[in-house]
Amino acid sequence: MPREKKKLLHIPQGTEGFYLEEAFVHRRLRETLLDLFHLWGYLPVQTPVFDFFDTYRNLLDAEATEKIYRLIDREGDLLMLRSDNTLFMAKQMGLALTWEDLPVRVCYADSILRHQDREDISHNEFFQVGAELIGKDGLNGDLEVLMLMMATIRHLRLPQAVLHLGSHAFYTACFAAGRLSVADQQRVYTAIYNRAFPTAAEILKAAGYNGEEIRLMSRLFGFIGTIAEFSVLEKEAVGTKLLSSACREALAYLAEVGAQLKRLEVESRVRIDLSEIGGQPYYTGLVFQVYMPGMDTAVASGGRYNRLLGFFGFDAPSCGFSLLLRKVQEKIGSPERFKPEHGGVNIRKKDFVAAYREAEELRAAGRIVTLQDLK
Amino acid sequence: MSSTLTIALPKGRLLTRIITCFKEAGIQVAFAERELVCLDKKNKLKFLLVKNNDLTTYVHHGIAGLGICGEDRIIESGYRFYKLHEFPFGSTRICLAGCPSVEGEKEEPRLKVATKFPRFTQNFFLKRGIPVEMIKLEGSVELAPVLGLAPYIVDLVETGSTLKAHGLEILEELADIKVVLISNPAYYKLEYQDIDHLVHKLGKQP
Repeated sequence: MPREKKKLLHIPQGTEGFYLEEAFVHRRLRETLLDLFHLWGYLPVQTPVFDFFDTYRNLLDAEATEKIYRLIDREGDLLMLRSDNTLFMAKQMGLALTWEDLPVRVCYADSILRHQDREDISHNEFFQVGAELIGKDGLNGDLEVLMLMMATIRHLRLPQAVLHLGSHAFYTACFAAGRLSVADQQRVYTAIYNRAFPTAAEILKAAGYNGEEIRLMSRLFGFIGTIAEFSVLEKEAVGTKLLSSACREALAYLAEVGAQLKRLEVESRVRIDLSEIGGQPYYTGLVFQVYMPGMDTAVASGGRYNRLLGFFGFDAPSCGFSLLLRKVQEKIGSPERFKPEHGGVNIRKKDFVAAYREAEELRAAGRIVTLQDLK
Repeated sequence: MSSTLTIALPKGRLLTRIITCFKEAGIQVAFAERELVCLDKKNKLKFLLVKNNDLTTYVHHGIAGLGICGEDRIIESGYRFYKLHEFPFGSTRICLAGCPSVEGEKEEPRLKVATKFPRFTQNFFLKRGIPVEMIKLEGSVELAPVLGLAPYIVDLVETGSTLKAHGLEILEELADIKVVLISNPAYYKLEYQDIDHLVHKLGKQP
């Protein structure tokens, strides 16, 4: 193969290009989702493709830092490419909003750029659509975001998608105060996130937790079940009196979210999962992920991040979600809805001006018209 | 059980013991000659036979939702899995080994190590603040010190007899390695009831 051709075929990891019908479908999906968000009162926000790395350095964990692309501008400042729309949006909104503006509803549909290992290209994490509700705390804010995400999934006709709801607040209430060192908190967090409960139990035991407490923690953080099953567990856990009031409040809150989702008749696609404690370090409350058969990772995720905007000088409570659109594009139901219309008109005339005039009349009537050469 | 679970099994030395273990749990694993896929219809389990080195890749991509391998493969893959069950066989250790005469050289500012496990080795020594130069080998790692490629090796050690036969000895045990049942996290989230049922069955063995 010629050297130049080889060069052209080499594509950097973490990028993709697509074209013709696939690109058309993608654009239409993006547009219809933004239209859906608009029906809920959400307006688009456009974030920059890159920004100063230092601005976000403390909000990125080791894994996220490893995956971002960094570059140096002409002044020698270190920049990072947009790897997460929520982070970049938070900075923009944090700088632009005033208290009078709140609550603000924003949405986005944009590419993200982050490194993926050679073996990981099937993850297709190239494009996020999402929505963020800024300045509305509490149950109604969380429910609005959850139901908008459910509406997004319904719009894409992904009936097998299952929402797993957890609570970063419950994890914080259990472990952030007192008995564990900061390093041990991080180790317990990792153990729960990986459902490595024997490891978590060892750390807790070494920190002085007794057997009864460790068994309860393993049982709670290991729980995955329906809203009804969680309701039983929650009552039982609160009854043991081993939990602090903050822990009990976090569990009661989750049970209340579950009860409302039941009233909204979406409970069959919901699981309460206390090992969901948030994949991003900025989450503070309710967290969630959406899983689908045949997908190697979650296709959507989100949660409450009440302190993230404060990091950028505007301490407004917020909640949001994002969906990896390219990841689900192959799985959407009735995909013909988003495909280009066939059956357009071909005009074949020798005289271009005559052909153009005829085509314009038809286009004005909403027809798709292509000018063809007369053979 | 409602859906068929897919489990990747490693070709090679662990396979017979894994099959025995499943048999004791009432699960039939029987690959026909040259076949790489088999089914236990009763238990709704589908088994894939894959190369040990590829197993984590299949599970990571969800082609097989579950897999059985040594923890060394998990560490080396760098992927995130749930470890659901430890099997009572195949345990081993990852060790730093070398000729007895070179032990003092460990104090040198830069270790030169031959290994099949570059990711593990790099992470282990960097955590200790020791710079390490690695030479990646695919097999017979114990030859490296003998032939002068590198004074040290990092490798799996079961009994130590292979090391001894080459005039090497264990300088330090770096990690215990178990044979484990792993799951792709997203797969587990969707199939947790069936998977927990399988884990319970495996855990009940004598």
